[in-house]
Amino acid sequence: MAIKFNRVDFKYKGEGKKGYLALSNISLSIQGEGEFITLIGETGSGKTTLVQHMNALLVADSGSVDIYGIKVEKEAVKKKKIRLNPIRKKVGLVFQFPEYQLFEETVLKDITFGPKNFGVPEKDAVETAKSVIKIVGLDESYLERSPFNLSGGEKKRVSIAGILAMEPDILILDEPTSGLDPLGRNALLKVFFDIHQKLNKTVIIITHDMNTVYEYAKRVLVMRDSYLVYDGDPVNLFTSKNIENWNLDVPDVLDLTNKLERDLGISLKTRPRSASDLTKALEEVLR
Amino acid sequence: MRIIDIENLSFHYRAGTPVLEDITLHVDKGEWITILGHNGSGKSTLSKLLVGLLRAKKGTIKVGGLELSENTVYDIRKKIGIVFQNPDNQFVGVTVRDDIAFGLENLQIPRDTMIERIEQYARKVDMADYLNKEPHNLSGGQKQRVAIAGILAMETDIIIFDEATSMLDPKGRNTILSMMKQLNDEGVTVINITHDMKESLYGDRIVVLKNGKIIKDDKTDAVLKDQEILEKSNLEMLLPLRVLRLLESENVKDEKVRSYLWQLSLTG
Repeated sequence: MAIKFNRVDFKYKGEGKKGYLALSNISLSIQGEGEFITLIGETGSGKTTLVQHMNALLVADSGSVDIYGIKVEKEAVKKKKIRLNPIRKKVGLVFQFPEYQLFEETVLKDITFGPKNFGVPEKDAVETAKSVIKIVGLDESYLERSPFNLSGGEKKRVSIAGILAMEPDILILDEPTSGLDPLGRNALLKVFFDIHQKLNKTVIIITHDMNTVYEYAKRVLVMRDSYLVYDGDPVNLFTSKNIENWNLDVPDVLDLTNKLERDLGISLKTRPRSASDLTKALEEVLR
Repeated sequence: MRIIDIENLSFHYRAGTPVLEDITLHVDKGEWITILGHNGSGKSTLSKLLVGLLRAKKGTIKVGGLELSENTVYDIRKKIGIVFQNPDNQFVGVTVRDDIAFGLENLQIPRDTMIERIEQYARKVDMADYLNKEPHNLSGGQKQRVAIAGILAMETDIIIFDEATSMLDPKGRNTILSMMKQLNDEGVTVINITHDMKESLYGDRIVVLKNGKIIKDDKTDAVLKDQEILEKSNLEMLLPLRVLRLLESENVKDEKVRSYLWQLSLTG
């Protein structure tokens, strides 16, 4: 197991979030390859706090998080007994507004910044940059451009390329598609799915978009008031009563499937999770 | 009755790269207009021009018959308010009360009226219990409701929602949408800038922007079924229509399913 949470509690201290309990008794395991996970829940439920424990940006108050065999505990981190660099290399985290974090004069310099910091020679870092820029759906000509003249969607792609250049096994993205137009969102989701499928990496996405969850996720984590209340597959989640209690929306495809079955008496042979699957399922019963 | 007249409006940050080009748009009092468009199409620039945060290079904007200029910008802002995308970026006050008061202070409203209005509009957006709370401890939906109260307190006739729901969780989004609906029913003119096709079902009319130009301005249902226009602007049709089109392209013809999907696509 790549990441293992064992009864983790975490409280924010200091001004503002005084005494604010963000994680309560969290236990879960994440594999280092082949997972496609979406993490959902209301604003303030602890989603961002949870993923920040996955690469030791935050450290549990009690309980422990095991990351690639390194036991991240409060005392050990305080006494600097733990080297965090290997963890950061294995688990890449893309923040909610990654575009605010671009700072170099060219895209190339931004993408190679991380690897060079980790001691990768310039020549190799440039080669990696050339390959990751394509993975995120841009071409090599972008490498010489200034990141500040790019569109919002392009900036997001460049920042994701910067994290991919570190070649992490696990890629975590905090609300990567919010604010993008439908075409931009679909294209970016396809990028994440390709990274998962072709490179066999584990991808974890925080989102409020139930359609993304239903269409792509193999596993869903639901946070509610600092607790992990669901860890399982999306079909069971959205067909259970909990979606009302947890203030989640019904995905469009499921909603339309239910309406067709209820109002037209159609009974589909499969449980479609995308528009094209729903069309195929309808075709099957209508032909 | 006309409430907004935009004539031949153009804007650029750098000469030679227009952000908005020759925009002409009229809005009636009490209307709900949805503005759709791809990222970078000029939607947000248009809203900033409307409230005088940016100055047009060419063309005119009239709000309630009053032409926007340096001299009138503060009067215009009494007529038109804006709720931005990121709920965290629009707070200035230490408490919710201070925040709602901020706009009123700028208008130099007498203290008694101010206190009254703050209470009144906090109740209206269902945030009266939070007046003494710190804004940053609220949820995204609650923050947006406070922002709305701040605008309502100035008793504006028009509210622009600039992707105001795009960062909210499903519950937050639904509360803001039903609040928008309620305000519109009471006569407030709503301009909703969004990427969410389902939100556009609430409105009377849709304006589609592409690369700084209006490529379509028509009734909501006419635009929602116009696949070509929507795709041109990086948008997608609502799911029932998408499924219907896919079925048609596979030559599956079932009248009952067709008319059902058609009807759903116009009601949500």
